[in-house]
Amino acid sequence: MEALLTASGSDYSQRMADTKDDPVADEQTLIRRAQRSDARAFEALYRLHVDKVYGLCLRMTGNVSEAEDCAQEAFILAWNKLDKFRGDSAFSTWLHRVAVNAVLGRIRKSKREQDRIQAVADTEPARTTAADTGEMRDLAEAVDRLPEGARHVFVLHAVYGYTHDEAAGMLGIATGTSKAQMHRARRLLAQQLEKQGFES
Amino acid sequence: MNFDDRLDQAARQLATEIPPERDLWPGIEQAIRTPRRRTPWLAQAAAVVLLVGASSGITYLAVKDDTGPVVAVQPELVFEKAAFGGDYHLGPGFQDARNSLRAQLDAEFASLSPKAQQDIQANLDLIHEAIVEINTALAQDPDNVLLQQQLLRAYREELALLRRVGGLTRNVMTRNDI
Repeated sequence: MEALLTASGSDYSQRMADTKDDPVADEQTLIRRAQRSDARAFEALYRLHVDKVYGLCLRMTGNVSEAEDCAQEAFILAWNKLDKFRGDSAFSTWLHRVAVNAVLGRIRKSKREQDRIQAVADTEPARTTAADTGEMRDLAEAVDRLPEGARHVFVLHAVYGYTHDEAAGMLGIATGTSKAQMHRARRLLAQQLEKQGFES
Repeated sequence: MNFDDRLDQAARQLATEIPPERDLWPGIEQAIRTPRRRTPWLAQAAAVVLLVGASSGITYLAVKDDTGPVVAVQPELVFEKAAFGGDYHLGPGFQDARNSLRAQLDAEFASLSPKAQQDIQANLDLIHEAIVEINTALAQDPDNVLLQQQLLRAYREELALLRRVGGLTRNVMTRNDI
């Protein structure tokens, strides 16, 4: 990160020196520069947020290769729509919305694409649990096995803490549908996890 | 602590920031540094009109008489890889109607001939591709009224197709019942 900023030019380095103790200010400066088509600033934003975006994509798709593609698409979409970001929400929240759109876009693209994703998911064990340990690994694997709609709502609502209204808005569904999918997710997870002694 | 509480607590402990196993930046950098060959939006809109129109025509021929010949014509259009524009969601009422018709189609799809099934699915795919294409154009030009109208039209075409197929399956079932 520091190397990136230093390499961006002395003028920027000076500005960064003025705000080095304020990461939010750093981010806002990077956003403004990226909005002026500064690819190096955008790369710095990517380095700051890639783990958050990839994590969400991985939780939503349950598949490493799909998550990588979705994360890349999310950042490309973000670059193309960066001038629309007005700072009304945190940049990370805005990126999350873009990432959800990227995931849904790939899913909606065609039925064939869904079939392909499912085929990959069936043959390639998800490694979403690399960052999880112990009982969390069991839960993460159970979440990966949820049906798509239930998984998306569970990830956004239960894992990332979005309200049902927010999750529904991001997913393009009704709030009631989000609640119903959450109920379904709980029921299915209970069935899966009870076998593994989750409650003990 | 009951299961739901325990589940909520555990879910909040799942990692939300996960580093990818490889650096994704090179692919992103290549995409954002490469000037995109852009089709003028008017040409895109015209292509979408043709695409949706062709799709509707083909589907009409496919479903108007399930026992008759089916014209298999696929417009050979190549679409750029695109993502669904997130700013253009369907309203809840529209979405509910669509979901209801889609569920009905899924339930009754098996009663159609294999050829009709294949053609209907192909045309649903065409409409979905058109929606993706319009959304891509809208992402670049979000205030374009014509594109917005074309997007709405594509959604309506999908709804109309689902309704027509629903009517067809009901007719088939009626004939079988008799």
